[in-house]
Amino acid sequence: MSTSINNDQQTANADVDVSNFSRHLNGQNAPIWWGIIGLILIELSVVSAFTVTYLYLYMQHPQWPPNDIAPPPLLIPTWSTILMLLSCVTMYLAGKSVEKNHSKGFVIYTFASVIMALMVLWIRWQQFDNFDMRWDQHVYGSLLWTISGFHFIHIVSAAIGTGAIGLFGMVGFYTKQRQIGVVVDTMYWNFVAFAWLPFYLVLYYFPRL
Amino acid sequence: MKDHPHTEQAIFDDQEGAEPILDKTWLSPPGFFGWFTHVNQRQIGFRFVVTSLIFFALGGLLALLMRLQLVQPENTLMGAEFYHQIMTMHGTTMMFFFAVPAMEGLGIYLVPLMLGTRDMSFPRLNAFGYYVYLIAGITLYLALFLGMAPDTGWFSYVPLAGIDYSPGQGVSFWTTMITFIEISALTAAVELIVTILKQRAPGMTLNRMPIFVWSILVMSFMIVFAMPTVMVGSVLLALDRTFATQFFVASGGGDPLLWQHLFWFFGHPEVYIIVVPALGIVSTVISTFCQREVFGYTAVVLSMVTIGFVSFGLWVHHMFTTGLPHLGLSFFTAASAMIAIPSGVQIFCWIATLWGSKIKFKTPMLFIMGFFAVFVIGGLTGVMAASIPFDMQAHDSYFVVAHLHYVLIGGAVLPFFAGLYYWYPKMTGSMLSERLGCWSFWLIFIGLNLTFFPMHQLGLDGMPRRVYTYLHNMGWGEVNFFVTCAAFLMAFGFLLTFINTLISPYKSRAAGNNPWNADTLEWWAQSPPRNYNFRHLPVISSRTPLWQKAPLYKVTGIRADRREIIITTLLDAKPQGVCIMPSPTYWPFVLALTVGFGFLGFMFKPILFVVGFFLSFFAIVGWLWPARPWLAEKPPEEGHPVRGLQ
Amino acid sequence: MHFWTKLNHKAIYLVVLLTLKLPLSYAQSQSAIQPATEQARGISYIWWSMFWVAVVVFVAVMLLLAWGLWRGKSKKPTKLSYLASRNLVIVAGIAVPLVTVICLVGGSLMLGRSLSASPPDNALEVRITGWMWWWQIEYLDENSNTIATTANELHVPINRPIQVYLESGDVIHSFWVPQLHGKTDLIPGRTNSSWFEVDVSGTFRGQCAEFCGLQHALMGFLVVSEPQAEFDAWLANQQAPAQPPENNEVLAGQRVFFEAGCHQCHTIRGTDAAGTAGPDLTHLASRQSIASVTRKNSRAHLGGWVADPNGIKPGAKMPMSQLDAKELSDLLDYLQSLH
Repeated sequence: MSTSINNDQQTANADVDVSNFSRHLNGQNAPIWWGIIGLILIELSVVSAFTVTYLYLYMQHPQWPPNDIAPPPLLIPTWSTILMLLSCVTMYLAGKSVEKNHSKGFVIYTFASVIMALMVLWIRWQQFDNFDMRWDQHVYGSLLWTISGFHFIHIVSAAIGTGAIGLFGMVGFYTKQRQIGVVVDTMYWNFVAFAWLPFYLVLYYFPRL
Repeated sequence: MKDHPHTEQAIFDDQEGAEPILDKTWLSPPGFFGWFTHVNQRQIGFRFVVTSLIFFALGGLLALLMRLQLVQPENTLMGAEFYHQIMTMHGTTMMFFFAVPAMEGLGIYLVPLMLGTRDMSFPRLNAFGYYVYLIAGITLYLALFLGMAPDTGWFSYVPLAGIDYSPGQGVSFWTTMITFIEISALTAAVELIVTILKQRAPGMTLNRMPIFVWSILVMSFMIVFAMPTVMVGSVLLALDRTFATQFFVASGGGDPLLWQHLFWFFGHPEVYIIVVPALGIVSTVISTFCQREVFGYTAVVLSMVTIGFVSFGLWVHHMFTTGLPHLGLSFFTAASAMIAIPSGVQIFCWIATLWGSKIKFKTPMLFIMGFFAVFVIGGLTGVMAASIPFDMQAHDSYFVVAHLHYVLIGGAVLPFFAGLYYWYPKMTGSMLSERLGCWSFWLIFIGLNLTFFPMHQLGLDGMPRRVYTYLHNMGWGEVNFFVTCAAFLMAFGFLLTFINTLISPYKSRAAGNNPWNADTLEWWAQSPPRNYNFRHLPVISSRTPLWQKAPLYKVTGIRADRREIIITTLLDAKPQGVCIMPSPTYWPFVLALTVGFGFLGFMFKPILFVVGFFLSFFAIVGWLWPARPWLAEKPPEEGHPVRGLQ
Repeated sequence: MHFWTKLNHKAIYLVVLLTLKLPLSYAQSQSAIQPATEQARGISYIWWSMFWVAVVVFVAVMLLLAWGLWRGKSKKPTKLSYLASRNLVIVAGIAVPLVTVICLVGGSLMLGRSLSASPPDNALEVRITGWMWWWQIEYLDENSNTIATTANELHVPINRPIQVYLESGDVIHSFWVPQLHGKTDLIPGRTNSSWFEVDVSGTFRGQCAEFCGLQHALMGFLVVSEPQAEFDAWLANQQAPAQPPENNEVLAGQRVFFEAGCHQCHTIRGTDAAGTAGPDLTHLASRQSIASVTRKNSRAHLGGWVADPNGIKPGAKMPMSQLDAKELSDLLDYLQSLH
């Protein structure tokens, strides 16, 4: 039987005692933190697949959008994009409040974020009416509706999840030690907000090129 | 609302008499209803493996039915429609319901054991993934028995799979169930990654990690980047079919080739998602039976990582005949052929390891030897098919059928069965019969070569694949007859292994903890492992912990009265914290049901998807509801020095 | 036939016969390794080169493996030193595959470039449209206007490049005549092309190679290559409208054709029949086969097909006919008069 111990690296020479280690895992030492990174990677793959699909189809057509179709209006979606990004700031502040065990501030910032998300949803909902084309007439319309809808659903789930976290916060669950739920929810929130940017770019600017 | 005070007397797993408490803490509730609450990684991993083997058997039976239809020209055993259904189901089953879950199942079962921990990072998610897999599989087979199975092939090319040419529910079943089952693959992948990165035993630095774990890590990352593409593809196809979007409809500005890009961007990595863990099994088994470390640990690991990367640059070689510009295709020829190099590196690392070793040719090793011959042939025909001109002849002919079965059976099924014979003692506590195993191997090995080798010739003779029949005067009858007979030989070989696994617990001798004298940590646990996997969590100081003479140091201070595991740093595996794992619960099963309801409902009434979405939300909240008492607020003593690690 | 090809043929026969003792028959060949064009010969040549390289590689790897195992069986097993192992991996695992792969890739890219180059100027242009489950074949003049339409039987002159434009009317099909060239897909919304030049007279069978639904298996066609003069005569005949009925049976048959509604799907040029859902029947009797080379074009088979197309090809779009014996006989007289 062969033995091979690499001596160039740390070598155990005694038992390891972990009784004094923290049971409150709040950052990169928590599995869920990495789990959310994994989820974000998956979703990033999805976002890239949608974006590449858009660009692929865009390049197939000399005329984009198709004849007589106006590109979607730019002004209001831009505001909603900014609003969405602003909500990342309130989420950040919510996290800071937990850090300081400031539960009232946490609840306020969380619900402020949720309300901003709901406003974004309302604006997006109005936008669907402004699309100059249905989803079943041409692939341009299919892309517009599908990608917008895809991101719409993500805001809905982020808002619901964050709303639930706000409720947990109201009964005092989140504290400086028990803040991992807030941390990962914020990560996902930021992802949802920033995932909109490539979509915003392709949906609203490429038809204008 | 007050936190539960930190008053109860903690019991640590290194105390005398902690065993019964550990056992109770990590218990999976018994009984029929208890079954739906299990979250322990060994239960879930074992279920994945067993379920995937059942699907393997079903997929194999479908293959035999296909061979019966093709046994003679213009056979009338079955109609074209039924043939196309079982053809589609065979491919779908083997790729989505056997190969990937089987490898994931092995990973789920073995990785925590190999890393010296007590569970995966997200036990409940694990359970959820299993139920999703089970529901998807059962649904698709129900569709088959109702005569509503998809019939456009496992690749569902549009426009054939579009609503105009496949108006029935078959393809809808396919699109929804494929999207659905990818959830299962993705959840397993994420938690395998997190478990591997964060739960290695203290001291198990990345370059001391068993090669099998590396292979699972590479597989998981590939799943994370490949599977979302097919999910997007199948969702777009479902939208095309349900809401008349125009993604793949040429007349609506869409492009049928878009589907092929999306599908094969997933589909080619998929092959390596299946093959890479199998390569990990090969390294493991060879190392054990040679009783020496695999030569070139770094080279082998880097080869697998390289395969993982390169496999994302090959997908267009499935599209050489679509009329894309030759210059663009050339890149994919080169990339495809270059896969030969990381494969070659591994093959010769193994040969160098085997060289001059006293090897016991037990069944697992026989399967590995079979792997060498079959996989090399599959690889060589793969390099041939990378040549654009030759592929224009071979593509979609029986040559490719031969090639892909050589690769997948040689590269995945044989190693998987080697793994089955190798780890069965660990999973069940009893050895598999060597005699049956030997018979099984030779029947499979001879059977598969006699089945698939002549198919190369059929392909060169111009027989296209996916044909339900062929005419008398084509001259393919004799070879097909021969192939069908051989297929039954191979099937009989697989049957022997199935029988072996069923009777061995009653007939065969007890395995003991380490029957093969292997070097990796899973053999440090009992066979089968106790609820808590290891009596003590180990501390690692070499790549081959069980071959070192000194006993392993252990982790102390892990509580036995709640599910605690240790978290270590990503590169060096220094202890970083202790994580409390969740307990058994029904919620993953409930969530799988609600998500499944949403997906299935979508097929019939799209609004039901929204209903499923909100139902799922309630299930998730129930799942995540923090159990009382909330974890107490006693602040840890910061900066406490870690004893035992320099 | 090239010397190499011949030798290789013998060799594969030998290999397969020795190992499997399989009867080999090329009764109706659709074989990629019996090439009849420069294009298919090139591919066949590259196949045989790769085949022999693969045989050598396979045997070498297996011998190395066996040798290594055998060293372990000997009385004094000698393991490989680190250096020897490393060199083995570098030479056999990296260098040899790299060189081999570069040669194979280089060779196949050169061939691929010549295959994908545009055909010479004097190419005959043909548009082929795939339908579930038959092939529409249109001959084009210099301005890409259709001059003759037929189905499932492509006639080509020898020693002249043939440029085929490949389109699809419904789902994806793939145009494959193994003896003439590799396959190229017919994709809705796109026009693909491929070209080849046959240098012997003969009949070559082709078949759809992309799964296209129920009757994918029986979507065959023929390519007939013949000297230019014969081809010209054939094409002139195909261009012409159908001959008017010459006797009463044929005239009655023509009446049946219209009464039974055949004209709604089929075109017979020179009559009012102008349907486009099915194959052009103007010169049906001049074709060797019916139902996409599923049956010979004999009176019996034709009668069976007209009576019950789904009996021969389940799923075929053509409906069953409700003709009595007399009507069927007249109809067959008419169809068989369409030379």
